[in-house]
Amino acid sequence: MKLVVKATLLMAILCLMTFAICPTASNSEGKPKRVDCDVHAGPCSGSLEDIQITLDVEPKPVKAMKDLTFTVTFVGEKPVTNPYIDLGMPGMNMGRNRVILKPAGDLVYRGEGVIVRCPSGRRTWKAKVTVPDVGAVEFVFDVIY
Amino acid sequence: MLSTETIYFVIFTSGLAVGFGHCIGMCGPIVASLSLNLKGRSGLIPHLLYNGGRITTYGLLGGVMGATGSFTLVTARIASLQKIVLVFAGIIIIVMGLAMAGWLPLGSIFGDHYNPEGLLSRGFRRLSETKSTATYYPLGMLLGLLPCGPVYTALIAAARAGMEAQSALRGSLIGLGLMLSFGLGTVPSLLLVAKLADLGWLKRRDIIYKVSSILMVILGIYFVVKGIRY
Repeated sequence: MKLVVKATLLMAILCLMTFAICPTASNSEGKPKRVDCDVHAGPCSGSLEDIQITLDVEPKPVKAMKDLTFTVTFVGEKPVTNPYIDLGMPGMNMGRNRVILKPAGDLVYRGEGVIVRCPSGRRTWKAKVTVPDVGAVEFVFDVIY
Repeated sequence: MLSTETIYFVIFTSGLAVGFGHCIGMCGPIVASLSLNLKGRSGLIPHLLYNGGRITTYGLLGGVMGATGSFTLVTARIASLQKIVLVFAGIIIIVMGLAMAGWLPLGSIFGDHYNPEGLLSRGFRRLSETKSTATYYPLGMLLGLLPCGPVYTALIAAARAGMEAQSALRGSLIGLGLMLSFGLGTVPSLLLVAKLADLGWLKRRDIIYKVSSILMVILGIYFVVKGIRY
């Protein structure tokens, strides 16, 4: 029984070695379906309950491994606590990459951050804007390497 | 704002989490290749050395990030080096794959048992055997430079902590500590992969080695291509 378990695990390792090559090949081709925002063209909009939230990233075009400025604008009620942004890749844990936002005007919050480059070639990233005690809205977009 | 102790804990758990997700997929094949290349010999010390080397590089990078307080500045400087390391890692995997199957006449570069004759050759063999295990530490240091998304993310935290530190030295120490914590978090997953790929228990390993060799060569080519394109 022990032998069977070990053999199964070994096959899993061998498959891992094989599949480490394959998924990235398909991911790097074509535009992923989940992209819902073109940050290179202008601000992206989303809604959270009755609040309209706009995310803008500068400078454009938005490139990985560059210092970026994230601006979140609210239409409607001003949040009680400052919002923040978590940057990540859809379907892949890249570690915690949080952009702390500070007030930069009436209903406007701004912060600095970096979108890192994934060697797999995947370019789709998500910015999850969280408003504490209210909820979160996600913006999925492609970046330039 | 999180306290320094909390950040260490958060980044350690982050390393642990990405270790069992991202690292197994991206670095697991390298570790599996190293394990397979040991051909059933005890792999714990070489793998500890490999991980030690990797964490040393992370720590050094964290120290530099913490001292400068800038992630993009440092990564821009090391980008071309990372490209070379990616290609080099691919070549190492190809060589190990070819050597493991016996398709390279020199045998494994990491401590195989070829028996050369002559004083010079015997001396080289002795030297290579002594170095074979120790080689895993500098190899880990070198491969610690491989471009990796979660490592970049941890380095951003190190740079940010450095930016908020009162002096460059303090920033450097915090950056170093953060990256060591992150690196330690990634160790369990890679040791698990190493253990799973250890074939010491298998009696008839030849076919597995041949199949693994082919996979290693393909994987190595993939790394080389990625490195050229990076």
